[in-house]
Amino acid sequence: MKKTFSNTYIFIYSAVLVVVAALILTVVSVSLKPLQTKNQQAETKQMILKTIGVEATRDNAAELYAKHITENGDYYTFDGGIILPLKGTGLWGPIWGYLALDSTSTVVGAVFDHKGETPGLGGEIATDKFAARFIGKRMDTQAIHLAKNADHSNPYEVDAISGGTMTSNGVTAMLAKAYDDYSKLRKEATE
Amino acid sequence: MKNFDLIKLPFSKNNPILVQVLGVCSCLAVTAQLKPAVVMAISVTVVVMLSNLIISLLRNTIPPRIRIIVQLVVVSTLVVLVDQVLKAYMYDVSKQLSVFVGLIITNCIVMGRLEAFAMVQKPWPSLLDGIGNGLGYSVILITLGFVRELFGSGTLWGYPIAEKLGLYSIGYENNGLMIMPPMALILVGLIIWWHRSRNKDLCEQ
Repeated sequence: MKKTFSNTYIFIYSAVLVVVAALILTVVSVSLKPLQTKNQQAETKQMILKTIGVEATRDNAAELYAKHITENGDYYTFDGGIILPLKGTGLWGPIWGYLALDSTSTVVGAVFDHKGETPGLGGEIATDKFAARFIGKRMDTQAIHLAKNADHSNPYEVDAISGGTMTSNGVTAMLAKAYDDYSKLRKEATE
Repeated sequence: MKNFDLIKLPFSKNNPILVQVLGVCSCLAVTAQLKPAVVMAISVTVVVMLSNLIISLLRNTIPPRIRIIVQLVVVSTLVVLVDQVLKAYMYDVSKQLSVFVGLIITNCIVMGRLEAFAMVQKPWPSLLDGIGNGLGYSVILITLGFVRELFGSGTLWGYPIAEKLGLYSIGYENNGLMIMPPMALILVGLIIWWHRSRNKDLCEQ
């Protein structure tokens, strides 16, 4: 009963198997790509709308987005302020978000998301609870940063996530970068 | 008759979660709400079913020395397919399930059935065994999802059932513990207790 297989057979067998699997996956991935891209774009629009307090579903996101948001190069504007995109790295991969500021550089809304931060720890940045901590903070003379036991009356300080130090540092870094871009932008506007 | 047993036994006497105690990790992680639980249940059933069938068809050509690798290639291909389809057609659910779709690859039910059954059985019984085990897993997952969403969030499939019944106005509160993973473990424990008390022959002496 016990069959023996030569090494050549094993090599050819595994090569064929892997090539067949790769072919199937390629075909599926290419054919589903347009739908997935559409979903991702709608999600980005939902996120941006959320910063200005507009709750959109995936279906009406495009419509509401066109109504409320104007794209302006690297950033976005809405009626009454500007939305800064945030991009950075957390512990395991990319993290990103959007920060809506009114004309006095006060945060009116924030939203964060991540690719693969640890659920329950760094992954908490994607929650509404975390994003709500930013409302009322300021980006006028310095960047907002995350800190342990943050002083809530300090308009530049937000409570970091316990157990998510690396992700919190990533958030601070991308806020600092956004602040730099924002200051440049404001300088250009006044000149 | 024997083939029917392959579907029937995993429901009770040989349930993958209650008796084989496989696949518990995902069963704690994705059952806080009914919808992801159902999608996860369907995904796992599809993957176990198809991987059992494919491995059974290939079983005489698979060199024993690389059989685990072959099984992994088949299972991961299927799981990536499921993941891609979810991302395209059920984007929200796919976000909620996040890493757990990928982790179907390491779900012990899948590998366990391949090693224990599909490697040595004909395709038709293997397919039935896959369906049976997938459904056995689904039953537990969906039960947990139902109980946890109902008592933890007061909703079912997102429908605010407790609010519609006016329970909050007479002082009803959602049970926050229900949506935490430990409560899923306690519920599984209770189900196993009930199940063993009905099936005395499963108890260790």
